[in-house]
Amino acid sequence: MKDSKANRVPSWNLAKEVMSRGARIYPLEDLNTLYECVQCGTCVGSCPSGRRTALRIRSMIRGIQMGYREEVLDTNDLWSCTTCYTCQERCPRDVRVTEIVKIVRNIAFEEGRAKERHLVVANNFIKTGHTIPLNEEGKKTRVKLGLSPVPPTSLLFPEALAEIQEIMRTDGFYNKVIRDKK
Amino acid sequence: MADERIGVYICHCGTNIAGTVDVEKVAQRIAGLPNVVLAKDYKYMCSEPGQAMIKQDIRDRKLNRVIVASCSPRMHEPTFRKAAQEAGLNPYLVEMANIREQCSWVHMKEPEKATVKAIALVAAAVAKSVFDEPLQMREVPVTPAALVIGGGIAGIQSSLDLADQGFKVHLVEKTPSIGGHMAQLDKTFPTLDCSACILTPKMVDISRHPNISLLAYSEVKAIDGYIGNFKARVLKKPRYVDESKCTGCGLCAEKCPVNVPSEFDLGLGTRKAIYVPFPQAVPLRYTIDRENCLYFKKNICRACEKFCTSGAIDFGQLPAEVELEVGAIIIATGYDLYDAGHKAEYGYGIYRNVINGLEFERLVNASGPTSGKVLRPSDGKAPRSVAFVQCVGSRDKNANLYCSRVCCMASLKQAHQIKEKFPGAEVSIFYIDMRCFGKGYEEFYERVQQEGVRFIRGRVGEILENPDDKNLVLRFEDTLLGEVAEREFDLAVLATGVIPRADTSELQSILKLSRGPDGFFLEAHPKLRPVETNIDGVFLGGAAQGPKDIPDAVAQAGAAASRAAVPLSMGKVELEGIIASVDEDLCSGCRICESVCEYGAIKMKEKSGKQVSSVIEVLCKGCGVCGSACPTKSIKMCHFTDDAILAQVKAVLRD
Repeated sequence: MKDSKANRVPSWNLAKEVMSRGARIYPLEDLNTLYECVQCGTCVGSCPSGRRTALRIRSMIRGIQMGYREEVLDTNDLWSCTTCYTCQERCPRDVRVTEIVKIVRNIAFEEGRAKERHLVVANNFIKTGHTIPLNEEGKKTRVKLGLSPVPPTSLLFPEALAEIQEIMRTDGFYNKVIRDKK
Repeated sequence: MADERIGVYICHCGTNIAGTVDVEKVAQRIAGLPNVVLAKDYKYMCSEPGQAMIKQDIRDRKLNRVIVASCSPRMHEPTFRKAAQEAGLNPYLVEMANIREQCSWVHMKEPEKATVKAIALVAAAVAKSVFDEPLQMREVPVTPAALVIGGGIAGIQSSLDLADQGFKVHLVEKTPSIGGHMAQLDKTFPTLDCSACILTPKMVDISRHPNISLLAYSEVKAIDGYIGNFKARVLKKPRYVDESKCTGCGLCAEKCPVNVPSEFDLGLGTRKAIYVPFPQAVPLRYTIDRENCLYFKKNICRACEKFCTSGAIDFGQLPAEVELEVGAIIIATGYDLYDAGHKAEYGYGIYRNVINGLEFERLVNASGPTSGKVLRPSDGKAPRSVAFVQCVGSRDKNANLYCSRVCCMASLKQAHQIKEKFPGAEVSIFYIDMRCFGKGYEEFYERVQQEGVRFIRGRVGEILENPDDKNLVLRFEDTLLGEVAEREFDLAVLATGVIPRADTSELQSILKLSRGPDGFFLEAHPKLRPVETNIDGVFLGGAAQGPKDIPDAVAQAGAAASRAAVPLSMGKVELEGIIASVDEDLCSGCRICESVCEYGAIKMKEKSGKQVSSVIEVLCKGCGVCGSACPTKSIKMCHFTDDAILAQVKAVLRD
């Protein structure tokens, strides 16, 4: 029994942390259904990401129930969810699966555990107000579709981008991304 | 009120109360109250010596009020009332204070506060008891006959059990034949005996029994009265066939030119516009389906009439109303199947090769639409691979939270049948938990495992259809491996759950019954009164009370008959003495009490030129709603008068 996994002691601390953290946005009585997961697998069976990635959202919920904090927060799979909400829609116990993913991501992000690819996207957002940058090819496609080459968003209105960035500075997102990205 | 002599008994309930509440202190404090002659504490008041102590004190100390501070009156009020009565004290002069559920159990961690509360509650009971008056139980005669509603296996069992004991039974069935869902099943788990083979002899017994009058194709429209003396109005729907003349020969159906989907075969087969639902129907009398009959639709045809050799066809038949007088009623209305169409991700009703468990029963049944050949609905080919999807509409907060209790075994049995018919077929059961809890069930599970049925622990995420060959692709996770998979099957059988019948609310309002959060009729006590209801004289048999398989439905139906036989064989029943009474001089005739009474126990009558309300004593349950609704305070609730309740409140607030 030298394997550290074999000696792990389960605790409800992570579940409680997820719920108190999530209660800022979601009703606590909704999040409480986390305790009711029976590991039936409906979520994974419905998961479009899980068909292509290693994401087993059921296992993540289990990890939260068991309190395996490091494992839950450090996995790459956390960032593979597309937040399509199919699992949450179909969950027979009404577990707020997708919302829990978002909460856990927030915790991970705050602790500087966001994965590199995610930080790239976050950086795009800070610089342009868009998570996916508009490149030359994109502009051509827009024109082909009869649209202006640049959409009327923060890309066209620098003052709007400044406002977005101001928001990101105020809530700490800006500094966090810059710091974590190094 | 100086001559009240009150005896107070504080029960320890072992350590249930005494472990938290300081019972000696309670007794000491109460002993000092006015009119209290004695206050004792004792380990178990409900025990034989505890009761003997009360009786002794009533006689020796001339007690005329008794307070027992112990558990909920639901548990032991009858015990102590009876003890008092045996010692010559009117049972309504016994009061109970609940210091277990309301003190020691809920305040387990605060013993001091629990003790203060216990003193307050007992003091309140003492204060109230001064206002208690002796009341009389009322005795009413019982009509030795029963009404059984629903002619499935539960209703059949209840009817036979009561009829065999010599009681007259009226069995009312909504559809043209008795038999219910059990008649639609092929083989039954786990013994694999043929459902019809074990059911039809009982159906025949019903038709032959001298004490049973069968009212098929009939509906209960109204029920009045109370235990021992119910009056039911039953509507006999017109069959347009004279039941006394029809011989059940079937020539009419043979000649009828109209084919419609058969309800009995769940639309997988057809029947004629004049029909019996299945060959072993009881009564074996034909029924014309007015909606589809050419005569009713277009005033033509009349083929059945021409060919009927006994002249039984009667297009002019009218609905008839029957009035029944019975002493007890058994509800055996059964269940409906969950509509799998609500689970859009499974494609039921869209993909033809997705069927439900009951449809499978019709397909596998020798008298079914395919003569017992399990064939895919899309192309009539034998399936090489079959998936059983468990928990469709059960154990699901988006549908029904409860477990339907029959589907695990039903799917096991059906998987076995597939393996029996097509040994090479790949059969998989997708489950959350296999719940095989009955006698011989786990053994059957093991047998089906031996037969090579695959068990995949994972609730199916979604089903897709291959548009070319109509094969089905199931998306699921094998949770035991943590592997996501897509696998193709020829046929998918959804193990749809059991839900309350669609017409449950109708019957609920006719009888004023309670229903549980699951929608099924509610028993009076989940453990100790499982077949009784909140209405005296009304009992529950079978799946009307909750999902049940055949053995459980039969057991419950037998229990309901046995409980119903108690008042029927007693010949009389005692009704509670706590009822409302009207001060007719004060009554303004506003009729508010009449509108709020759940039991129809208030009716208006004329008194010196004005309308006043009056209480039908036998119907009154003493609930007190009328009394609190009465704006002129002219309704008095015996045993719970305003004076008594205010005295209780004052006693609680004294300290």
